[in-house]
Amino acid sequence: MSAAGQELVVRVDRTRCVGTGACTWTAPEDLELGPDGRARPLRPVSDDRPGLTEAAEMCPVEAITVLSAASGEVVAPL
Amino acid sequence: MTVEHGETSSAQPLIPLHCLRHAEPGPPRLTALPNGTPVWLATRHADVRQVLTDPRLDRATLFAPDAPPTSTGPNLLDDPEGLLNIDGPEHQRLRRTVQRAFTPRAIARWRPWVETVIEELIDDLEAAGSPVDVVAGLTRSLPIAVISRLMDLDGVDLQRLGHWSDHALSTSAYPAEQVRQAMREFYAFSEQLIADRRKNPGDDLVSSLLLAAAETEGVTEGQLTAMVCGLVVAGHETTMTSFGNALVQLLSEAPEAWARIAVDLADATAASEQILRAIPLSDATALPGLLRRAVADLEIGGVAIAAGSVVAADIRTANHDPEVYPAIGPLDHFAPLGTPSLTFGAGPHHCLGAWLARMELELGLHRLANRLPGLRLAGPLEEISWREGLLTRSPASLLVAW
Ligand code: HEM
Ligand code: SF4
Repeated sequence: MSAAGQELVVRVDRTRCVGTGACTWTAPEDLELGPDGRARPLRPVSDDRPGLTEAAEMCPVEAITVLSAASGEVVAPL
Repeated sequence: MTVEHGETSSAQPLIPLHCLRHAEPGPPRLTALPNGTPVWLATRHADVRQVLTDPRLDRATLFAPDAPPTSTGPNLLDDPEGLLNIDGPEHQRLRRTVQRAFTPRAIARWRPWVETVIEELIDDLEAAGSPVDVVAGLTRSLPIAVISRLMDLDGVDLQRLGHWSDHALSTSAYPAEQVRQAMREFYAFSEQLIADRRKNPGDDLVSSLLLAAAETEGVTEGQLTAMVCGLVVAGHETTMTSFGNALVQLLSEAPEAWARIAVDLADATAASEQILRAIPLSDATALPGLLRRAVADLEIGGVAIAAGSVVAADIRTANHDPEVYPAIGPLDHFAPLGTPSLTFGAGPHHCLGAWLARMELELGLHRLANRLPGLRLAGPLEEISWREGLLTRSPASLLVAW
């Protein structure tokens, strides 16, 4: 289990998401494509900082926001 | 008659693209491509989105040995090694080599520079005096200047690049053998550029693509060559097309919108989104939509589609689906879109250059309207000469006055 304060929450703006699936390859533990062809989080909190940061930075429409679970601060994209 | 740049003179004047009528969206129906190959046509917004995002539909199997013929003739989009024609993990890997350069943030960094280019081009238009051809002066020159800078094509003969780009998207403008010849030259150019940048890398898009590819497993030389050509063509043709067709619409029927676009950049941004949604890039004559092939039996919008079927996603009709975009009277340039349009596609092949194209269009419209608020078409719509026989249609030239 990750240390408190390292836990991350991922949000997907489902209106913006164009369903490339890119994030689901980068962070397969945290994101999947729903039946409507839009990405959705798989678990309430995550500790995969590199994967989620990469997913947020590479989303072609910036639909992904990664927040610190503790502070609500935006971790990615910056 | 020699036909250069896909220009032809039709007996009947062609209808401007913003005046084309759109079919009523409905459930997928079986129709045929111009070559007779049966194709399922999806037209509703939700169905089109499914066709483009559902992993049971792909691009690669369109080129499998058992696939029915779908080609409109030799053109760049049919290269099986092109980014568009690769799927799954292999596509993800290849796309990542260029994706970082095209995120909204990466593109935003180019804004100030793009703005200077636009101002200079408008300076030249003004200096040339009214009336002037805004296609040669701005709508074609801007995307060429931008993609040339991104790829550092300084010193490359832009006329030749334009010639290859036109052939790359030809459907009937040029004889097949002429297209093949142009493609051979284009690919040779691309291979040479790749060799040069490997020797002397810079901070341009081609160099960063090669660097990323070197660290990625399984990227082939053919894929890189096709990618470089694809970037040149996409950078050239599509943005020019939407910019030119946007001006035809705005200057012929929307003076109030023009006035608002001139004053407020946010209004220009909103108008660009509406224009991209509402004005298609082409007639649907060569292709009814973006093609895919079913790799498994599936259902789209309640209709059963068998594995192996060819499916077309008709984004122009979906972009007018009244379920999603209530059609109330003439185009409202400033209505918020709500649901993103399908102009840039969806799913894994969603347009790489979407933010670049948006930025060029919104800044181009905003600055042109701001500098020349009284701009108007110098001639009647019926006399516009169109670039024809290509996958896109836009004015070959457009005389404007002020
Ligand atoms: C108004 C301008 C543009 C429009 C309407 C447009 C539209 C599209 C559409 C609909 C697709 C998806 C095709 C499919 O799924 O079958 C696409 C893909 C693509 N576009 Fe654009 N495009 C534009 C500008 C650009 C620019 C400026 C570039 C690059 C500099 C670009 C590069 C690409 C690439 C590389 C793909 C293939 C992506 C992939 O397969 O992963 N486009 N575009
Ligand atoms: S990368 Fe972005 S657009 Fe693509 S599926 Fe994930 S959230 Fe949606």
